[in-house]
Formats: sequence, C-alpha cells, structure tokens
Amino acid sequence: MVLAGPLGPSLAPAILKNRGLYRWVKPIANWYADLSGYRKVGYKYDDLIMEERDDVQRAINRLTPREAYDRQFRLKQASHCSVLHDVLPKEKWTKAEEDVRYLKPHVESVEQEELERRAWDNMVVSKK
Amino acid sequence: MLASRSSAARSASRIARNFATVVDTAGVKVAAVDNGEPTSAVTFLVKAGSRFESKPGVAHALKGFAFKSTEKRSFLGTIREAELYGGVLSTSLTREHLALTAEFLRGDEPLFVDILSSFVKSAKYTRHELDEYVAPVCEAESTTAFSNPAVRALDLAHLLAFRTGLGSSPFTTPGTHVSVEDVKAYAQNAFTPGNLAVLGTGIDAATLQKLVEQSLGSLSGASTLSSSPSSYFGGETRIEAHGAPETIFIGFGTAGAPSAELAVLSAHLDPTPTIKWSKGLSPIAANLPAGVSVKSVLLPYSDAALYGIVIQGADTERVKEAGKVAVAALKAAGDLKGDDLKKAVAKAKFDAASALDGRDNVLFALGAQALGSPASLDSTISNLDKVTATAYHKAASSFLKAKPTYVAIGDIKRLPYADELGL
Repeated sequence: MVLAGPLGPSLAPAILKNRGLYRWVKPIANWYADLSGYRKVGYKYDDLIMEERDDVQRAINRLTPREAYDRQFRLKQASHCSVLHDVLPKEKWTKAEEDVRYLKPHVESVEQEELERRAWDNMVVSKK
Repeated sequence: MLASRSSAARSASRIARNFATVVDTAGVKVAAVDNGEPTSAVTFLVKAGSRFESKPGVAHALKGFAFKSTEKRSFLGTIREAELYGGVLSTSLTREHLALTAEFLRGDEPLFVDILSSFVKSAKYTRHELDEYVAPVCEAESTTAFSNPAVRALDLAHLLAFRTGLGSSPFTTPGTHVSVEDVKAYAQNAFTPGNLAVLGTGIDAATLQKLVEQSLGSLSGASTLSSSPSSYFGGETRIEAHGAPETIFIGFGTAGAPSAELAVLSAHLDPTPTIKWSKGLSPIAANLPAGVSVKSVLLPYSDAALYGIVIQGADTERVKEAGKVAVAALKAAGDLKGDDLKKAVAKAKFDAASALDGRDNVLFALGAQALGSPASLDSTISNLDKVTATAYHKAASSFLKAKPTYVAIGDIKRLPYADELGL
C-alpha cells in the first residue's frame, strides 16, 4: 500500500537494494534535499508528512514528550518565517545530520497495525 | 444406577485431585488436574502481586500489559487468534499473585500455552501501548473499584493493618505515574522460573509439562522481588464520600499464617443465612436493624490474615447501631463452647471444602500448593477438626485484643468513631 499510505510513493527501497545505484543517486538526493529549502526554515523532513490523517495523528501521539515539543517548536518557527517572508539565519538551519526520520518508524508501525487489522478482518478460515 | 455412577465419578475426581502433584519442569512448577471437564484452563500464576511492587501501580500496569504485543504476535493477533479458537484470556491480580489464565477447548493447548508463555518471555512493553491501552484501562478499573465503598474500605483497611507490603493496593491510585521502564524492570524480576507456577485443569499433566518445557525452557534468572514479612498495626481512618452507601469496616488482623481458629471465628460470626429469606443464626444477624447489610470478610495471606466486618446502609444511625451489635458480637466471640463451637467448626469446614468447587478456586488452591503455601484442603480440614474450646479461646481472645482496624467511608460527620462503638 505504498501509494495510498501516509508516506507516499517512494523509490528509496529499490535504490537502497542496488549498491551502485545508491552511490550514484545519494549525492543528487542530498543536493535535492538541501535545495528544496525546508532545512532553511528549521524543518526536518518528517515535519512535512501530511498530518491531517488519522494514522499520522496516531503516530504523532506516540512521540516522546520531548520530540512532540520540538516538533511543535519547529512548526511555529517555520510559520513565523513564512509570515516574515524570510528564512532563518544560517546557523539555525537544520543540518543534514540532524535531519533524521523521527516520525517515520511510528507512521510505519501504525500502518502495519492497520494492514494487520485489515488482514484479520478479511481472513478466510479453512479447516486443516 | 445413576446414584452409584455419580458417586463413582465423585470418588474418581477426588482421587485425581489428590494426585495433582507439583512437578518441576525447566525450573517452573507445573501442576495439573484432569477431572474430565469439556474445556481446559491453564493459569500462569506469578508471585508478582502488589505486595512486591517497587513503585505503586506497577503490578497493576503489568497486569494491563498481559496479552499485548510480544515478539511472536501483535496485540490484535493474540486476540483474534484466541477468538478463532474460541478461547478466553483473562488476568487477575491479588495482593500476592498475578494470574494469567487461558480457557479453551480441549486440544488447543499448544496455541494457548504459547500465547501465555510468549507474554512471559518476550512481551514488548511498548510506550504507545501503555498510553493507548494499558493506562486508560488501569485508570477505569481503579475508578470503578474505588467507587464501591466496600472495596475502598477494604483497601484502606489493608493499608492501616499492614502499612507496607500487603498494604499496597492492587489498584492504581489516581495520579501515580508508571513508566514503561518501571513495568519492564518489574516484569524482568517477576517472570523468573522460581517465581512462576503453571497450573492446569482439564488438561493432562504430562502434556502440560511437555508444552511448558518447550515454551519456557529458555526462561532463566532469579527473582529479586521481595516483600518484608507482614506485621499487624491497625488504626482508624475516615474518608468523605457521597452517593454511595454509608460504610464502616471493623476488623482485626494478625501476622503469621492464617490459623484454623480464625476460620472458625469467621464462620461463627458470618451473618449470611444458610436458608433463603431467613435471618441466620449468627450473633450479629440476630439483633441487626433493618436496611443494613453486614458481610464478614476473612482474607488469608501467606504470612498474615485480616478479618473484618463490612457494614453498609443508607442511614448513618442504623449503621452505627449495627456497628455496636457487630462489636458486641466480636467481643463475645472469644468465648465459644459446646455446640456453638461445633456448629462454627462444621460451617468453617464446609466453607473450606466448597471454596474448592469452582475452577478458579481449584487453580488458586493448586497455585498456593505450587508456590509453597502449605494450605491443602485435607490439612485445612484436619486442622479444623483439631480446634478445641481452650485453643480457640486462647487464639480468638489474643486476636481480638490487638488494636482494631476501623474505616468509615461516607458522611464522616455522622458516622461513628471506633470508640463510640465500644472498640
């Protein structure tokens, strides 16, 4: 359910499998992530996951209080930047090594639970 | 024909019950009784009741985590699989033991023993399960339990009587915070081979031993859970409450294994009538004002016992009157002679025997045997037979001389104080 899932379509798993392709694509990916500009307003990539869905809301509820607070701070900071039509001073930009997928594991576990529930709901019992 | 057959069945079951020997399998004590029931039940009895908890509410949270996700199955998978096989999973927590029970049709034991043992061995204790499922359920259970003034009175009575250890409640008090790490550490200490007994009814002992050996063979470690030996203190407390019956609890406790004399005292005072719509012959029941309910409670533990009378009624005056009757009966109960004593002993014997009727009770009796309490039915009954008037008088009067435990819940401005009842 990659297409309809909360994380959207992704070629990353396929690329990660191929070592040569990964080595070739990774610099471009890094360049693209920097270029897309979200790091300049202090965001991490996982702040951009669409949160107006039940599964992502559940995942957000599973963050530790500290992670939830930091996320809220980044959202506030970025919307302030948006009001000012400006980006943060360079030392406040998100560094590449800080840009970790803190929400993705939770989103995936919620998605997994949903898929499992669907599988159990549609199960056909057969006699052994 | 029918009569002879049923009596043969009864004696057969008695033989089976007597031969429920406790076997050490992979360090875990296993006992099983097969009385030919159509369903089987397996209980994992863990010495992890609230008296052992390191932090208030941990034992209750551990109980809540039962059957949640493990390395083998998810939370949903456990429930759906159990439903598919038509089994019932349940847990219960007392001050001394945590019991995880699965009841199922005969033949499904591999799955259900696996469900139980995978919780013991490899539960995940995730933070989101604590927040999403365990904590709300614990809170709801505690709120429901404490909204019953009798439960609340007994809970407070334990605290007054034993303070630490047995005093700690099997329910979470509102406002306590338990983290996943606390539960994990507690579980690691609790789920060790020496701390665990596997009990089966309606299941062949050899089958159960084999399954336990397969599933719990790798379980290791020694429990560091400990509880200080109980001692009895006693005291008085009053709690304001509204919208529930006015409740008082008058009780006495004692440290040391519960004695036969105490069971006789309890049987003598128990106001429950033996015949429906009658008043009963207990000295309390005879002079009771109308509209007041009186229950006697005997709570035996491995190293202490609490006996008390719970009086509930809508009207404080009548509750006070009933309290005076109960205290007078308690004081007079030290002298019990002749037929009165015989009657009480007979009633206590019947209570002890009929307590083994239900499946849960058989499991708990087996568990007590497996985890080292010496209370088998035969010994209980022979001890009751040995009760003499002088021994009873000595035991009962020293028991009733201790400082009473008194709890009043309700309209505390009107409910009587302990000294007003003559305690």
